[in-house]
Amino acid sequence: MTARRRTERRPLPLPVLLLAVVAIAFFALPFLGLLWRAPWGSVVDVVTEPSVRTALWLSLRTSLTAAALAVLFGVPLAWLLARVSFPGRSAVRALCILSMVLPPVVGGVALFFSFGRRGLFGQYLDRWFDVQLPFTTWGVVVAQTFVSMPFLVITVEAALRQVDRRYEDAARTLGGSRWYVFRRVTVPAIRPALIAGTVLAWARALGEFGATITFAGNFPGTTQTLPLATYLALETAPEEAIVISLVLVSISFAVLAGLRDRWLGGARGMLP
Amino acid sequence: MSLTAAVDVRRGEFRLEVCFDVAAGDVLAVLGPNGSGKSTLLRCVAGLLPIDRGRIVIDDAVLDDPDERIFVPPERRPVGVVFQEHLLFDHLTASENVAFGLRARGTPRAAARRVAADWLERVGLADLGHSRPGELSGGQAQRVALARALAFDPALLLLDEPLAALDASVRQDVRRNLRSHLDGFPGTRLLVTHDPMDVYALADRVAVLEDGRIVQQGSIAEVTAHPRSRYVADLVGTNLVRGTVTDGILVTPTGATVVVPAEPGDVFAVIRPQAITVATGAAPGSSARNAWPGTVRDIDRLGDRVRLGIDGAFPLVAEITAAALEALALRPGDPVVASVKATDITTFPA
Repeated sequence: MTARRRTERRPLPLPVLLLAVVAIAFFALPFLGLLWRAPWGSVVDVVTEPSVRTALWLSLRTSLTAAALAVLFGVPLAWLLARVSFPGRSAVRALCILSMVLPPVVGGVALFFSFGRRGLFGQYLDRWFDVQLPFTTWGVVVAQTFVSMPFLVITVEAALRQVDRRYEDAARTLGGSRWYVFRRVTVPAIRPALIAGTVLAWARALGEFGATITFAGNFPGTTQTLPLATYLALETAPEEAIVISLVLVSISFAVLAGLRDRWLGGARGMLP
Repeated sequence: MSLTAAVDVRRGEFRLEVCFDVAAGDVLAVLGPNGSGKSTLLRCVAGLLPIDRGRIVIDDAVLDDPDERIFVPPERRPVGVVFQEHLLFDHLTASENVAFGLRARGTPRAAARRVAADWLERVGLADLGHSRPGELSGGQAQRVALARALAFDPALLLLDEPLAALDASVRQDVRRNLRSHLDGFPGTRLLVTHDPMDVYALADRVAVLEDGRIVQQGSIAEVTAHPRSRYVADLVGTNLVRGTVTDGILVTPTGATVVVPAEPGDVFAVIRPQAITVATGAAPGSSARNAWPGTVRDIDRLGDRVRLGIDGAFPLVAEITAAALEALALRPGDPVVASVKATDITTFPA
């Protein structure tokens, strides 16, 4: 006679389980569709094709730059929104995360009329500094930063609100200036959120399409990123589009899956 | 290294208005229940909360004086703080925590590390330098917090409820340990606590705080023996007897004996005035192991209760009801017997 191990059981309510499984299938099926139609024989040819490699390299460069800019400006912005109360704070917050919910094409048009050569500010950038953003690689970076920074800001702001400020007080009494305490205590305390926010912003920048094509155009080598190349290839060589899509999916999936447990630990005590 | 503070600060409806000073090398305990303003006071002295009026001075250095527009921020005050829940930085090792104050002040990494190692050795944690705060016991974390607060050589040490975060089972040990470390620190110490045992064990002087005001301050012997209000009496008014225990009997330096439930050694016995029974003549057939004959020295009425000062083998304060006083018809100079059960006496190592 074999004794069955009796462990503590907390069965899920069946309807919840079923709906969750439907949700998983909803996300999995589109990718299965891609895999199903993928021209496996020509994957290597497509990926090593110069135009695809150029677009891939451009995408990586611009999206990483955009993520870095999102951190550089987004963390101070999140700090301001979380820690300093000033009149109109809610309005400023809404403004700064608006591009998250805006159709990206609208964002691109808005960027064009403000930073374009004849735009509200763009004309001075052009006249005084000889800087033109539209239809340049920096234009791609600007468009990507515009749509991706809010992801970092809301993630980091939420974390900053939850940080136990007594640790910062303790660091001040130990002789830390405000800047030292920010670097050595506050940032480590929000590290998981900072990493998650950075990765989300980077992934959003990598997939950016609408704002980029509107503001920066579609020039191979300077502004044609992978999503633009995919869209273009869809009309001329659909099989190539599938392969490029798979490359994008693989990169994003690898990063998101790797993110979860690896870096989200650490500095738990300073968060409730 | 003395501290002089006149603090007047408002936080919403609450107002803290206190004046006190601590002589160089002394330990002052500020005792009060939650909400009496202890933590606010500590935050003012540390510089985490600017005062509205008053003046905070360490030696000759003015740290806060709104009238003269002087405010020294916390990072430039010679003040170390041990916080209630230790607040060790979780992303740093014990050694890095102790070195934090030196690093923040610009000490090179190697030198800071050496000082931190010294301090960890001093508090008996030389082997745990690489441990994360989460791996330390409550008592160990407290010692790391103490080392961290002292490593940058402050003139004043503030302790915020240093034992409140610990399990009752280890509090006694940690308290004794803390006291031996505090004795080794030459600077001035200010301790805030809600636990009278901390006051008896760790401080020289006590200031009792009630609703943002100090209602009585003085040496511990003075305040415990002569509380000037019901509030202070309830909080700290008690009998402290020091002596050496052998075979369950404490012998005072004057030769008086007290039966106590304590291990052998040098101890303080705390005899609550409410636990003492007062009788005229011999106490008839009581189970109390301690019965001391004496004479009534003074009678203090605090509302419906009465504190009797009794002179005998050692001075005692007993608390009885006004009705009991009437029934016994006591007057100063009358002979009485004060008795108390050994189990009603608490002790802590001296």
